[in-house]
Amino acid sequence: MSELNFVGKSFKRKDGPDKVTGRAVYSEDVKLPGTLIGRILRSPHPHARIVGIDTSKARALPGVKGVITVEDTKGVKHGFVETPRYPADQEVLARGKVVHVGEEIAAVAAVDAITAQRALALIEVEYEILPAVFDAERAMDPSAPEIHPSHPKVKEEYANIGGKSEGGWGDVERGFAESHYVREDRFESQVRTHGYLESQVTLAHWEGDKLNVWTSSMGNFVKRAKLAKTLDLPYSAVRIHKTYVGGTFGGKIDLFSHEYCAARLSILTGRPVRIVASREEIFSAFRHAQPLIVEVKTGVKKDGTILAQQMRVINDAGAYRGSGVVVVFLAWGFTMAPYRCPNLKYEGFSVYTNYSVRAPQRGHGCPKVRFAIESQLDMIAEALGIDPIAIRLRNARQPGEELPNGDNVHNGNLPACIRMAAEKSELLKKYGQARKTPQTGHLRRGIGIGISAYFGGSLVYPNSSGVMVKMNDDGSAIVLTGAIDVGQGSETIIAQIVAEELAVGMDDVKLISSDTDATPQDIGAWVSGMTYITGNAARQAAGNAREKLIQVAAEQMKVPVEDLWVENKEVFNRRHPEQRMSYAQVFAASVATRRGDTIVGEGFWRTMRDEPTHPSLATTKGRWTENYAFSAQVAEVEVDIETGEAKLVKAYTVHDCGFPINPALVKGQVDGQVSMALGHAFLEEVLTKNGYTLNPNWLDYRMPTIHNMAASEDADVITEEYRVGQPYRTKEVGEGLVSGILAAMGNAVYDATGVRLYSTPFAPDRILDGLKKLQLKQAAEIRETTTEMQWSQP
Amino acid sequence: MILYDFDYERPGTLQEAMSLLRNSGVDARLLAGGTDLLPNMRVQNLKPALLISLGAIAPMPPQAGEDGSIRIDALSRLADLENSDFIRREIPLLAESAHAVGGNQIRQSATLGGNLCQETRCLHLNQEHDYQFAAPCYKRGGDCCYPYPGNKPGSCWSVYMSDTAPALIALGAEVEILGEEGTRSVPAERLFSGNALTPLLIARSEMIRSLIVPAAPAGFGWGYHKSTLRGGLEFAMANMAVTLRLEDDGETCAAARIVVGAVSEGPLRASSAERKLVGKALTAELLSEAADDASDEINPLPHHGFTRNYLRENIRVYLRRTLTAALERASGGII
Repeated sequence: MSELNFVGKSFKRKDGPDKVTGRAVYSEDVKLPGTLIGRILRSPHPHARIVGIDTSKARALPGVKGVITVEDTKGVKHGFVETPRYPADQEVLARGKVVHVGEEIAAVAAVDAITAQRALALIEVEYEILPAVFDAERAMDPSAPEIHPSHPKVKEEYANIGGKSEGGWGDVERGFAESHYVREDRFESQVRTHGYLESQVTLAHWEGDKLNVWTSSMGNFVKRAKLAKTLDLPYSAVRIHKTYVGGTFGGKIDLFSHEYCAARLSILTGRPVRIVASREEIFSAFRHAQPLIVEVKTGVKKDGTILAQQMRVINDAGAYRGSGVVVVFLAWGFTMAPYRCPNLKYEGFSVYTNYSVRAPQRGHGCPKVRFAIESQLDMIAEALGIDPIAIRLRNARQPGEELPNGDNVHNGNLPACIRMAAEKSELLKKYGQARKTPQTGHLRRGIGIGISAYFGGSLVYPNSSGVMVKMNDDGSAIVLTGAIDVGQGSETIIAQIVAEELAVGMDDVKLISSDTDATPQDIGAWVSGMTYITGNAARQAAGNAREKLIQVAAEQMKVPVEDLWVENKEVFNRRHPEQRMSYAQVFAASVATRRGDTIVGEGFWRTMRDEPTHPSLATTKGRWTENYAFSAQVAEVEVDIETGEAKLVKAYTVHDCGFPINPALVKGQVDGQVSMALGHAFLEEVLTKNGYTLNPNWLDYRMPTIHNMAASEDADVITEEYRVGQPYRTKEVGEGLVSGILAAMGNAVYDATGVRLYSTPFAPDRILDGLKKLQLKQAAEIRETTTEMQWSQP
Repeated sequence: MILYDFDYERPGTLQEAMSLLRNSGVDARLLAGGTDLLPNMRVQNLKPALLISLGAIAPMPPQAGEDGSIRIDALSRLADLENSDFIRREIPLLAESAHAVGGNQIRQSATLGGNLCQETRCLHLNQEHDYQFAAPCYKRGGDCCYPYPGNKPGSCWSVYMSDTAPALIALGAEVEILGEEGTRSVPAERLFSGNALTPLLIARSEMIRSLIVPAAPAGFGWGYHKSTLRGGLEFAMANMAVTLRLEDDGETCAAARIVVGAVSEGPLRASSAERKLVGKALTAELLSEAADDASDEINPLPHHGFTRNYLRENIRVYLRRTLTAALERASGGII
């Protein structure tokens, strides 16, 4: 392929017109006659034994068609992780005890919402209140209330450990001993939520032998597997239909109780059942991201070279295992990937607390890890008198470098990212200015850098994506893909790839997507792999269809296959370009001469094809990814030193996302992540007290608005290297860029004010407190100096 | 979705509305813009049995009286006030405070009277209680006030967060209240009880009919600030409205009003800080001292996750800046 016509170009989104005209059908828009309204009864206690549940009054209420508790289920557990070490641990409805406020106890289906609401009030639950624990480190104390027994393979004398990850190499003690400078710091983060605008919505309709489900999802094949398993149905009896999805950001993977309840209630009532979660429910009972405590000890040589690093991560994982054990594994990966470190010791604990279960959130732990390491690296650089760029370049992994776990960064180029980010932002010229030169007024500018590395398309169920390309007899094509477009643009990308490989126009490609009955299996929109995994499957499928077209044309034209190629929906002879057949003609010939072959292309892709399975979450052994996407991000912030108010003014992102199939969508991902990170840095926090969520609404949980956006510039490095011969060497760009920029904002606040923040968000009171402490310290230093001067006088 | 049954009436005249309000025999509420009432009904903090919509009653445009005062219909939409050239010219402080409310969609619906009659707010109060919190908070009929240290029974620590109320108080506005006995009039600052359980001194059979803002005297200057985390689509961390009047010498303070809202059961006047200014030539130092005094004088309730200490600091800094802006306007520096 010499010239690229579709990939690498900023085509408009396939889903754009539907969305902006309101034609897009989301799960809540699907209407079926006779639909019942389902609602969930939730626990008002963070930790309690369920002594008894009496649903008789609710069942007797006119208009109530079904009521279920755990006794009406098959008792099949599910879990975000389901491995021999971490088996499924969660019932679909609480059995025997509740472990967080909002845990699902029962569900009703009624003719309307008010009746359903009244039915909930008629369900009598007797509780025996148990002591609860809301702090991960307190929960680890052997004397803390036991939420679940600690994992049997965890040897430490800690309570409530859901799982532990360990990893490392070399000898950290020796590394620290040989270090010129060692420092230890501790960083913390708040609870944040995903902020998807579309609520959690499920419509389920049992038709006697088939369960049809429309649900707001980010991986329909994962939903199907877990629904079928918990309902004890064959996969073939469960069909998850395609709908548009209004954002996920990690919060809609895995099975949710309401999805099971809608399905079970439909099976029991024979009518469609819809359950819509209110925003309050999403904030107070559904899943948020994991807040991590990150303790990091780093030893360096005089020139800043990292000799040893020791990490201890504690994850407040909520009341079930959820993705907690995955985060403490990933935190190892996010630690070791960007910088060389000859001696590394990592341990991460996932701890049960009486909070709702946690989910992945864009970045899945990476922002918290990079915030810790990048903040500390700036402190180290300052102590050594090195600039922030030099210390990063000193330690950044080089292209082609092999990692201790067997991964290779291939042509990922972190040093190029760092250099370009420094250059574009003029960081070294600006850095330190607010602290060095006398300032007037109450505003201070600061600049800081953070870097990150992210994986793409790692092995997680269902591990691979398949795509089919069906030719139509007019030469256009239908693509069957399980890929789900949650707003990231997968349908546009896949259409571009098929158009490129098949030499047809964008409008000739129509997608049937994310329907578990109609489309091949797909990894889903959640391990940062869709463009790479499903994209390559689409390339294969379109290529396969093209080969078949060429094969038929070769027979018809009596020309060797090698001489034929495709353009504009035609197969032509490269030696005699005037000799050509349209796809329609080829299709007709195929049907006529090849026993009716309608030309269907097939493709599939899996990451790390020779790797038997995913890496061990516990030991971190095994390969993690073949797709390291690196980035360096610079933040410029402005701080009001009188009020402590701070904001991001400008963000520079330089990333290595591989070949950008659609540069405009890449830019959209960059800007979206910068805006999400600034929410993390300055605005967002789920406030809780005793397990209750205090701000379960958009008013009091502050997502950034358009007015909080900062200017965001971005560039990709080494794209040109991919352009020739590797236009599908795509990497990750949808998650990794929430991390470096968060760290950069922390470093920039320090640069502006001299205040080092060890926890997010960078709230005004924290900055103001820091400024006051600095003033006291400076005043004390002045006093000391004055006293010394007095003493030194003769 | 409001998940309980209630009745709804949409009378054509104010008289009918007031008659329904007095005679319905049930817990009835007037529905104007609905931007505060309906969300509170949705979370079942308020559960009126009857909603009397004022939607069919058109507000009168602002009218200037002979004495230069301006009468504003309480049913005026906030967006109409902030976008009115007349209001922006004559009462820019009111326009500014109306603009500070919520977002544009909210302001297109919300009315000035409704903004004044809003429910108090607290992280425990204005949300669903069906499984959140084992028992309702005191204002919702329970036994204890969750944010109050030690959950003290019998208290309510919710705050009154109207953005327009401090402005109206600082302007010295009068409130005309329509009731059974006809119309009565109170100064805006006397509208508030200081009790979060019943923050407004208005009977349930009454409604705010109009606001009368006196004419701005010569040497008048104003300042307004709403402190927020996000800068929009939110209630205030604290809001503050300041008016100053200078003597003919253009320096000496003849009158001052400093009002801080959103940090207590009602808007608070910083009277000792005001007294500090009156009769003195206004300098940057003096304004700064007054802001310090006001910040000390006002004892903000910690609310919505903001600590008392931080609220004090925030009020101190922004009052100084707001006073500075008011002085600049009074002395003709900025308009």
